[in-house]
Amino acid sequence: MEKKGLTRRGFIKTGLLTAGAVTLGTGIAKPTGMWAATPKVKGPIKVGYQAIMSGTLAGYGEFHKMGATMAMEEINAAGGIAGNQLMVEYRDSTLQTPEAIQNARYFVDSWGADFLAGIDSSGQALALAPVMAELDKILMVTHAATEKLTEEQVYKNGIKQIFRICNATYQDGNAAAFVAKDLPAKSWATVSPKYEYGYTCWEMFKNTLTALEADVTFSAESWAPFGTTDFRPHINTILDAKPEGLYSTEWAGELIAFVKQAKQAGVFERIKHVMFPVGAAMDVLEGLGDDMPDNVWISGRYFFLYPNNKRNNDWVARFHKRWNHYPAYVSETGYSTMYAFKKAVEESGSKETAAIVQALEGMMLDTPAGYRIFRKEDHQAIYDVPWGLTVSDAKYPFKIMGKQVMVTAKECFNRPPFEGPGTRPPY
Amino acid sequence: LNLESFIHVCLTGLSTGMFIWLVASGLTLIFGVLGILNFAHGSFYMLGAYFCFSVLRLVGGNFWLGVLIGPLCVCAAGYVIERWFLRYVYHLALPYQLLLTFAFVLLFDDLVKILWGAGSIGSPTVAGLSGSVAIMGRNFPTYSLFIIAVGPLVALGLWALIEKTWYGRIIRAASSDREMAAAIGVKVPLLFTGVFMFGTWLGAVGGALAVPFVGLLTPGMGEMIIIEAFVVAVIGGLGSLKGAFLGALIIGLLSSFGTRFIPTFDMFLIFILMAAVLIWRPQGFFGEAS
Repeated sequence: MEKKGLTRRGFIKTGLLTAGAVTLGTGIAKPTGMWAATPKVKGPIKVGYQAIMSGTLAGYGEFHKMGATMAMEEINAAGGIAGNQLMVEYRDSTLQTPEAIQNARYFVDSWGADFLAGIDSSGQALALAPVMAELDKILMVTHAATEKLTEEQVYKNGIKQIFRICNATYQDGNAAAFVAKDLPAKSWATVSPKYEYGYTCWEMFKNTLTALEADVTFSAESWAPFGTTDFRPHINTILDAKPEGLYSTEWAGELIAFVKQAKQAGVFERIKHVMFPVGAAMDVLEGLGDDMPDNVWISGRYFFLYPNNKRNNDWVARFHKRWNHYPAYVSETGYSTMYAFKKAVEESGSKETAAIVQALEGMMLDTPAGYRIFRKEDHQAIYDVPWGLTVSDAKYPFKIMGKQVMVTAKECFNRPPFEGPGTRPPY
Repeated sequence: LNLESFIHVCLTGLSTGMFIWLVASGLTLIFGVLGILNFAHGSFYMLGAYFCFSVLRLVGGNFWLGVLIGPLCVCAAGYVIERWFLRYVYHLALPYQLLLTFAFVLLFDDLVKILWGAGSIGSPTVAGLSGSVAIMGRNFPTYSLFIIAVGPLVALGLWALIEKTWYGRIIRAASSDREMAAAIGVKVPLLFTGVFMFGTWLGAVGGALAVPFVGLLTPGMGEMIIIEAFVVAVIGGLGSLKGAFLGALIIGLLSSFGTRFIPTFDMFLIFILMAAVLIWRPQGFFGEAS
């Protein structure tokens, strides 16, 4: 402890010196050291994290927690954020909008959070945006995917306090359409969630695919309410429509139940081209095991085998050692969020919201999922996640992505320019 | 609308309905005899599924052994709840009973998270029942056919038990007049414990059978089914097994046809039916007017 304290003081001294040099030397010697320009950041850095921790989706909360906790442990072991301890407190978001707002207010008003993170539900994220503006604290969204959050709340309404580190429905709708246009299927149907996320993805998929491929048709849609366990009636609708392609944004346990029941009903023999935009989630792959058919298109917000480089593979190994699990995508986004906050605080030398917004806008961040850039206009993180076909692998007790197709974020996160022609699919 | 589609929508509705019936039967029995609206019934369903799953793991995949042993473990929980908790609230107003059983819902959800983890578990397949049979050229899951067959068997068994046996007569006596039954020597507390455990067992069996039917175990899995079971019980007449059976059939078919043909209103249909029944016949199809 004593020794560490000495080092810390040493570092701060260097920081002060560098900071001084900067003010004098008109930015020639840009501060790059760990706490280069940060003498004024005081006290622990507190992050209030909310995710779903009860009910049928409680597993997602666990995965969020694993990622964020691991980042916290690593950061604190390496000296914290600008010399300050990082503290993370978790609360159950319950997926209910009033609860999410209550949590946010608790975190900021009672607990004294500097930053907020988490959120699984698109509805919650949209409702929280004005609250975050009022509280004037930053919320880093790690899971909720509706494009309306960044396009409307951030870009149009100018709520600068919202950032999103996970990819958005562009991956689920647009990128899927890019993959689908090269498939021989000409008619598509969907079984998808009967709420914002399900509707917006299918709409985007339809619009983009129609623009790319004029003769495509959409023959049936069946919307499953939240909490559906019996998908058989929906499967009847799909089989009656006899589509060549099936697109489904069902996720988590509901996707597991859907795939199992669809398999029993012979859906995968009848429909050759199946796409699950969030099928590459670990809970789904592990939950289904061998029941996930081969040659199904899956994607997600991060897949632990991509990118296949040292940075990611080392992280996955560390994560597996720490939790005895492969990281789910919310683990990666939760983990990277803490590093985004760290980098922003250390670069700006402040934990004030305005300074952090400025630091995050356009920031390039090295994360397990690859380099992310927070787009200035809409605060959406730009990074690539592949689409791939399911395949068995002797190394894992579940299916992984075999053949992969990359639709880059640059291609499919189709805004900016945000206004005028070419900003909405088809573009 | 072709025949293939129609038959499949019918069969799907029947399997859904019979599945809800399996859960609603225990709920109805407990209300009919003990007068308790047991929210925790959904938890028994969940525990039945999880215990069945664990037994399956232990004995190496014999599903039927899981169905046999799993629910018996849950029965023990039923005993504790009735003997040490519910017994003290029989004389209190209904809201207290509801609160108590709801507390158990929360407790059991967390217990499952502690024992089995918060994540969802994909269920194992059942040898011999995991496939499907071609009906009119379209595959129908064998296990759904099995559920369609089990439902009426359970109904028949319950009917025989209550109408035709000595135990049934005592149960009927105690449910119609607790004090009189006690006066003629029926050990009412013991009987109530027994009936509660039996109802618990029925819910747990529903859960165990759900393992391959739903294909998924999650903490909180009982919360959805218990709502449907309540709707069924209300439509049929609270406490009436006959009514619950009919109600489950109607709800199953309605949700299947609703999803297929009027998808926008599929959820709405079920609740509009319940509302209509409550307005025109508040006691339900077979309930006794009070």
